[in-house]
Amino acid sequence: MATIIHPLALYLACALGAIGVALALPRPRISPAIFGGILAAAGAGLVVVLLGFAGGVEQLPNWAFYVFSAMALGGGLRMITHPRPVYSALYFILTIIASAGLLLILSAEFMAFALIIIYAGAILITYLFVIMLATQAPEEGDLEHLADYDTKGREPWAMSAAGFVLLGILTTMLFRGAGELPVPEPVDDTPVLAQLPLKVERELRIERVPAGGGEPFVLLGEDERLQREIAPDGDVLGRLAHEGRTFFTEDGRAIELPDDMRANNVEQVGINLLRDHPMTIEIAGVLLLMAMLGATVLARKQVELEESLKARQAKRLHDARTEREGLD
Amino acid sequence: MLSDVLSGVTLAQTGFPDLMGGVTLAHYLFVSAAMFVLGLVGFVTRRNLIIMFLCTELMFQAAGIALVAFGRYHLDLDGQTFVIFVLTVAAAEAAMALALTVLLFRRRESLSADEWRELSG
Amino acid sequence: MIELSTGILNSLTLALADPAGAPVATSQGPAWAMAIPGLAILGALICTLSAIFGVKTKLPAYLTVGCLGGAFATTVALLMHFDPAGGAMEVNAWEWFAITWGDGPGQSFTAPFGFYIDTLTIYWMLFVTGLATLIALYASEYMSHDVGTGYNRFFFAFNLFVFSMACLVMGGNLVMLYLGWEGVGLCSYLLIGYFYKKDSAVQAAKKAFIVNRIGDLGLALGLYLMFVHFGTIEYAELFSNEKLLGYVDAAMAGDFAQIPLEGQIIALLLMVGAFGKSAQFPLYVWLPDAMEGPTPVSALIHAATMVTAGVYLIARMFPVFLASEWALPVVAWIGTITALLAATIGMAQFDIKRIMAYSTVSQLGYMFAGLGVLTPNGAAYHVLTHAFFKALLFLCCGAVMHGFAGQLDLRKLSGVWKMKGWLIVSIGMLVGCLNLAGLPFTAGFFSKDTIIAEAFVTPGYQVIGVILLITALMTAYYTFRVFFRVFMGPVHAEPGDDHHGDDAHGDDDDDHAHAGDETGHNAFHPHAPGWAINTVLAILTIASIAATGLYFVGGEKDVTTYRGEHVKTKHYAMTMVQKSSAAFVTPYDHHAFDHANHSGGAAQHADAHGVPGDDEIETGNPQVMINGVLVEAEGQSSHYVLVDGKLLAAPGAGTGPRGSISEPLSVLGTGLDPHKAMYYISGVIAMVGIGLAWFFHLAGRTTAAECRMDAVASKLGPLPRWAENKWYVDEFYNAMLRVPLIVIGHLSFWFDKLIVDGLVNAFGTAPRFIAGMIRPSQSGYLHGYAAGMLAGVAALLLVVLAILASAGGAS
Repeated sequence: MATIIHPLALYLACALGAIGVALALPRPRISPAIFGGILAAAGAGLVVVLLGFAGGVEQLPNWAFYVFSAMALGGGLRMITHPRPVYSALYFILTIIASAGLLLILSAEFMAFALIIIYAGAILITYLFVIMLATQAPEEGDLEHLADYDTKGREPWAMSAAGFVLLGILTTMLFRGAGELPVPEPVDDTPVLAQLPLKVERELRIERVPAGGGEPFVLLGEDERLQREIAPDGDVLGRLAHEGRTFFTEDGRAIELPDDMRANNVEQVGINLLRDHPMTIEIAGVLLLMAMLGATVLARKQVELEESLKARQAKRLHDARTEREGLD
Repeated sequence: MLSDVLSGVTLAQTGFPDLMGGVTLAHYLFVSAAMFVLGLVGFVTRRNLIIMFLCTELMFQAAGIALVAFGRYHLDLDGQTFVIFVLTVAAAEAAMALALTVLLFRRRESLSADEWRELSG
Repeated sequence: MIELSTGILNSLTLALADPAGAPVATSQGPAWAMAIPGLAILGALICTLSAIFGVKTKLPAYLTVGCLGGAFATTVALLMHFDPAGGAMEVNAWEWFAITWGDGPGQSFTAPFGFYIDTLTIYWMLFVTGLATLIALYASEYMSHDVGTGYNRFFFAFNLFVFSMACLVMGGNLVMLYLGWEGVGLCSYLLIGYFYKKDSAVQAAKKAFIVNRIGDLGLALGLYLMFVHFGTIEYAELFSNEKLLGYVDAAMAGDFAQIPLEGQIIALLLMVGAFGKSAQFPLYVWLPDAMEGPTPVSALIHAATMVTAGVYLIARMFPVFLASEWALPVVAWIGTITALLAATIGMAQFDIKRIMAYSTVSQLGYMFAGLGVLTPNGAAYHVLTHAFFKALLFLCCGAVMHGFAGQLDLRKLSGVWKMKGWLIVSIGMLVGCLNLAGLPFTAGFFSKDTIIAEAFVTPGYQVIGVILLITALMTAYYTFRVFFRVFMGPVHAEPGDDHHGDDAHGDDDDDHAHAGDETGHNAFHPHAPGWAINTVLAILTIASIAATGLYFVGGEKDVTTYRGEHVKTKHYAMTMVQKSSAAFVTPYDHHAFDHANHSGGAAQHADAHGVPGDDEIETGNPQVMINGVLVEAEGQSSHYVLVDGKLLAAPGAGTGPRGSISEPLSVLGTGLDPHKAMYYISGVIAMVGIGLAWFFHLAGRTTAAECRMDAVASKLGPLPRWAENKWYVDEFYNAMLRVPLIVIGHLSFWFDKLIVDGLVNAFGTAPRFIAGMIRPSQSGYLHGYAAGMLAGVAALLLVVLAILASAGGAS
């Protein structure tokens, strides 16, 4: 772990973060949220910068990563500390967008955009709806009025301390493990390409016409190569026959794929999802269906209000009306 | 640069420039862990039911980043596939949780989690 | 008179015996014999219907009298029909129990709902149904104040009692007997507790029931053991059971070692049952308290019939008792002790009904002693005479009680004889008292004498004879104490506090008591009994006198005994008993010793009894009678003598355990013939007792309350008080049985409460306590749970880290 970051520095940063978050959490009166935010950012920044140094000074730091991670953590901090639920939700959207950026750096384009579409687009909008629905409209002239449970955090110091102790332990473990991870074996993406005959043929034609003399060719499928020995005729279906990055045409030629010809992320995720985990898609579908039905049933349920609550509601309505009439 | 990002797959084997530019797995794991702890602290300290659910979403998010980062490091796509299911579960959870929140709010006219403590011993 | 009654009774008693001498087999009896219990249960049904329809007249009483009279008539018809040559008759109504689980012997259990009719049965049923009829008639008037309230209930239980008694006596197997046994117990309970609003009556009913349970347990166990051992509980099979006959033969040879212990215990268990029902010594305490019931009930159930069920059981099971080494001696001694104890208590009581109750216990003791000294004839005869005169005495007491507003204290009544309208009651009382006291030439005299004389001639039992004689003196004294105090002397009467009718359910005296209260005690007018009571008393008086005749008639019959021997009988009761299963021993003949001294030749008359009809034994083999036991003399060399209930071989002629067996039996070695001597001795004793009673309780008495006895009693120290308090037997039982049981009950209760429940509660409390400590952690706050999860995850990770660190350090 010491190769990645000095433990004392990590723990100091955790402590800073804890103090910062605790300060930033909402309070009834004066909220030193800005100081807290600065402190927390300092802690996070310390770690990240130190990590950057550990990676080697000769390598330029990837500015995109730092921007995105700062946005994500800052948005997260603001989300948990903002007393107004609507702002919390908006900051969460910010966090999601930053996360999507981080995923882009990780070459997970499909996930990045799926995240924005599903989370920021669908789920968070639902949250916003519910927040609008379930929060009492601010009275006229009292826009700053907040519910008691929004303005007062519960045990901010203790909980922050506990949380950041956990962070210290977690990062200790993660770094320890990450430092000891073996260097991954290079992975050949040719099997994915072999599953995409149309893409390979099209690309090869585009690429190979100038290179290979423009002779038309048809790539040999795996089934056909087997069938050829048994039954000569057949269509181009299924996987392509290949040895390494060498593909074969029907007329027996071998074509080497160019190095820049790769399966992109969406193709890879799609193949993985549909070929390796088809059943899980079904399960996920059932899960979503059930959730939809459940939400429908729950939300439609009529609530029998208790008498005291009815009285309270009636009194509030009455007060509001008299106030309005009084104002008039 | 974005196109490079889009087309890049495995860096070391292809000789493509390492877009991560000194960003290691540890960076991502730290960000992920920090996000998770933020969500956790928020869940424990905030009283608003909706914000508590938002915090759980934040924790989902952190887990997703960690999964993708690990998958990236191991050059394995199962990590991303798993995140898809995390998203599915998050969506289902959000639907149910919000329906419940609405129901609870109708009963007590309050979003405070402290209103509901029927399970106290 | 004697010839006349002989002529009449000859037609009723058995015809001449068959000459064959073979054991008689049972035959099918007439189906109409079932009418005896049938009519009784019909009466019970009628009373039930009367209760349902709320009959408020005396109808149920008269219907009951009709039904029971019909039952009596049926019994008489059965006696006429009974064919002595045919042996016992069986009438089976239906298969009751028929269980078979194998083909071997003892692997089937059959107990038909059927009746076994022999002379003993008829003998018993004659006085049961006869007395029941009379007492029902008496009760129709006695219970008249309950018409419309408890009247139907009373007569229902009355009928049910007669039905149960019929099942007990007539039943053809021990299960039927047990049915009747429990039935009479139930009816006894119902009738003692008839005034169920009165606490003492309820307590007495409970006491009677519970004490009887002890005896019934013995009976039930004896019944089971009998089935296990002999494989049958049907009389007909049992009495021809080779095992049992072998036992009896062994017992007669004095060889009890041959009889297995199991076979001997049966009799002891049955004996316990008999002691409970017949109020013998350890279990007698319920009977005096049973006087809380209406007087007709006391007369019928607790004096005349039910309490003789124990005597009947032993008489019926006599072969089984013979087969036991200890049963009959125990019966004899317990009977004697009971007789003496009850007599001493009876002397000191002041409640005339209780005196009668103790005299009943005492007389039952005589009967048991009679059974124990091997004279079932005497016991059965005493049962019959006692039934008549004791019923008469009770009914007279009831009439007094009825007329004097429940007054039973002999210190508060005097000179009833001289009151108007009480003559029949007084005469009835006198006759009953004379019988009970055993004045010569009364029925009680002869029957009691039979038993006492038999005790004297039985070696080893002379002490019993002496005790019984002393008891006879006491009996005469306390009997006439009552008579002289209540019926003679100056006229005086105080109304009772109506202690037999405290509430609206009071049997009779409520109205009189109130009348007395309103007009003052001086204006109290006793009301004399009406026609029904007087009729019944007159009939019973005559019957009690006539019972004497039974001693002189019906004898000299050549009767075939159950075992096929021929005997000549002396009197009616003997004739009846001798035909039945109680006659495994032939009647007494003390002069059999003379036979024994001869060379076993033909029976020789030794006409020394002075009473008509010496018994005579004529069988093919030379036989002798020793102490009432038939012994077959094998050649001349062996003789048997009964010592302590055992038949002992007396090797060599002329010698025996008592020394020289050639001596004729005599009373205490005086040379007097026992029966003859007993007539004189007991007659003198009875008159002495009456004289003492006269001197102390009548002569010179001017007031009802005071007499000469008071002065004597004051000099006797605490003895009279102890006797009046029944020698504190009840208190002793309380201390020895009830108090320990209560203490054990409380101890068990607290043990259960503290230890058992405590243990269980402890098992429940521990989790509750631990839960109480943990419970606060379940605050119900969502945050609490989340914080817990947070802490848990942190702890887990710390543990993992520690393991990794130690692993890294190690490697």
